[in-house]
Amino acid sequence: MKNNHNITLNNINKSYQKGNNTVVVHDNFNLTIESGEFVALMGPSGLGKSTLLHLMGGLDQPTQGEVIIGTQRIDNLKQAQLTQWRAENIGFVFQSHHLLPVLSAQGNVELPLALTPLNKKQRQEHASYALELVGMSERANHYPKELSGGQEQRVAIARAIVSDPHILLCDEPTGNLDRKTADEILALLTQLNRDFGKTIVMVTHDKKAADYASRVINLETYIFEPKNIEVGERL
Amino acid sequence: MNTSLKTGHSLLTNMRQAKALTVINFKSFPQRFVASMVSILSIACVAAVILSVLAMTEGMMKTLQRTGLDNTVLVMRAGATSELQSVMFPVEVNILANNQKIIKNNEGVAQVSAEMFVNAEVAYISNVGGIKQATTTVSLALRGTSNATQKFRPNFRLVEGDMFATGVRQLIIGQAVARKMPALRVGKVITLGGAQWKISGIFSDGNSVFESELWADIGMVQSDYRRGNTIQSIRLALKDINDLPTLEKEWQEDPRLNIRVQTEKKFFADQASSLTRLIRWLGFPIAIVMALGAMVAALNTMYAAIASRSKEIATHKAIGFSPLAISTSILCEALLIAFVGGLLGILPLYFAFDGWTAATQNASNLSQMMFNFDITFLLIIKTMSLALFIGLLGGLLPAIKAMRLPVTEALRD
Ligand SMILES: Nc1ncnc2c1ncn2[C@@H]1O[C@H](COP(=O)(O)OP(=O)(O)OP(=O)(O)O)[C@@H](O)[C@H]1O
Ligand SMILES: [Mg+2]
Repeated sequence: MKNNHNITLNNINKSYQKGNNTVVVHDNFNLTIESGEFVALMGPSGLGKSTLLHLMGGLDQPTQGEVIIGTQRIDNLKQAQLTQWRAENIGFVFQSHHLLPVLSAQGNVELPLALTPLNKKQRQEHASYALELVGMSERANHYPKELSGGQEQRVAIARAIVSDPHILLCDEPTGNLDRKTADEILALLTQLNRDFGKTIVMVTHDKKAADYASRVINLETYIFEPKNIEVGERL
Repeated sequence: MNTSLKTGHSLLTNMRQAKALTVINFKSFPQRFVASMVSILSIACVAAVILSVLAMTEGMMKTLQRTGLDNTVLVMRAGATSELQSVMFPVEVNILANNQKIIKNNEGVAQVSAEMFVNAEVAYISNVGGIKQATTTVSLALRGTSNATQKFRPNFRLVEGDMFATGVRQLIIGQAVARKMPALRVGKVITLGGAQWKISGIFSDGNSVFESELWADIGMVQSDYRRGNTIQSIRLALKDINDLPTLEKEWQEDPRLNIRVQTEKKFFADQASSLTRLIRWLGFPIAIVMALGAMVAALNTMYAAIASRSKEIATHKAIGFSPLAISTSILCEALLIAFVGGLLGILPLYFAFDGWTAATQNASNLSQMMFNFDITFLLIIKTMSLALFIGLLGGLLPAIKAMRLPVTEALRD
């Protein structure tokens, strides 16, 4: 396979120690997402959807088990290696955009490029292109407080894709938006998946949002099979 | 979007990242300026105190270092640590002056100056022309001098009026005294120990400590202060200062003499170090306590700053900024606070007090000594470094905390 960026979770256990109690969020969890898929993660609150996303993006580490992206095992990487790996491979989009209020849309999108060897001019060009992709070219010099919720989320998506990661991890990206705006954002994600081959994992509570995905995983009904069993088939 | 964007985690890339984040922090700093005010002000106070102490000691050192010639030997009674404590007799002057190693003029007269030095209570009317006349009393150094005295003061100049006349109660005052007490002008009559003296002139002496003194004829001082013909200190010009050790040995072995011999330069240098030590002992403990307070304030401010920005910091981590770069940017903000505080402490002091004349009160038996606040560039650098150091210490723990901040918790909204 040419561009193997499959996401593989092997026998994941994620638990938290609360005094004498152990809160088990995931136990013996297996999942494979192939390069180029657009997966919607659904399920009731508190079931560990965000946790899964954090594990895939190397923001969090499993108590047990393996997280493999492509050929790279990331659950045992050191913090410094992990942040570098994340900068190169993962784009995050959150429910709240987390844009910096002191930077313009352009400035916010350029920020991740500070992690690359690109010079100032190249950074500007890349950021402009990303803003163009999300349809925000006209608002490049606007500050977040001058933008609507949908526009802010577009800028956040531009920031996530600007350094061209293979994988986009989106945690309820339309959670704060009205139907129409949400549909626009979802269409944009679909386009990024279809035209640019981005692998997208999107957590959502919205059935209509999930319809945009090529596969829907409902954690409530997802069967946690032990090893060697084909997992992650369409439900 | 088809370029492969490889990153590295060398120190250089870390610094690049830190720079990007620091620029952002500085951009949003004006919003936090008020919240950072406590730290800024407390660092400003520390900087002001430290700079005052340094500028004061610097000014004193300079004044005292300008005093005294290299080849002048100062002789006092053995055991005396200052001219005030010393008593000498004319016969001793003769023994000392007869020595071969002392410079003599064409007529064979040795270059010797016998001097009186007393602490004079000076009373004068300070508000001339006012309706109610107020009398001011200060303690000033009064030196009884002779003609030879001026030979030991190559920088001595009369800047106003005339030399005092001998045999009458006239005196000349140093220009540091005149500056500090503007009511003391040429022609003014002042009261010294009950007697009326007239100011005949004002002198300068290359900004030396002598400019803090009043000079009069030694005979008048001796009789007014009932000292008979005793004197207090003797200055001798040596042909070669390298002869001092042998000369000192010779005099120490002379049963007629019981004296203390040192160069005039060393005498004033010692006075300088004991005076500045005193100021440091008083000033630095205060400064240290304040510095600790300022550090805690900076610590608090930075903790608050990262608490309010935990989401922002988590976002930066999610984007891929290294923890080191993030903590470096926090440190830079602490340094910015310290820098602003340092400036706020230094600049007013610099504009208001550089060159300002202050006076000691009878410290170390020097009577009143006037000196200038001397705020040099080096002192400003020193003070600023200290301010930055406080900021650095205050920012360190918050920076480490920011580095360790768990991303997932901060991002759950
Ligand atoms: N630091 C923690 N300590 C203890 N328990 C935690 C911690 N973080 C998460 N959890 C628990 O892990 C579980 C999964 O959390 P997660 O945020 O992944 O759920 P979610 O499916 O994303 O929920 P939601 O739909 O509300 O966002 C929750 O029950 C939560 O209480
Ligand atoms: Mg969640």
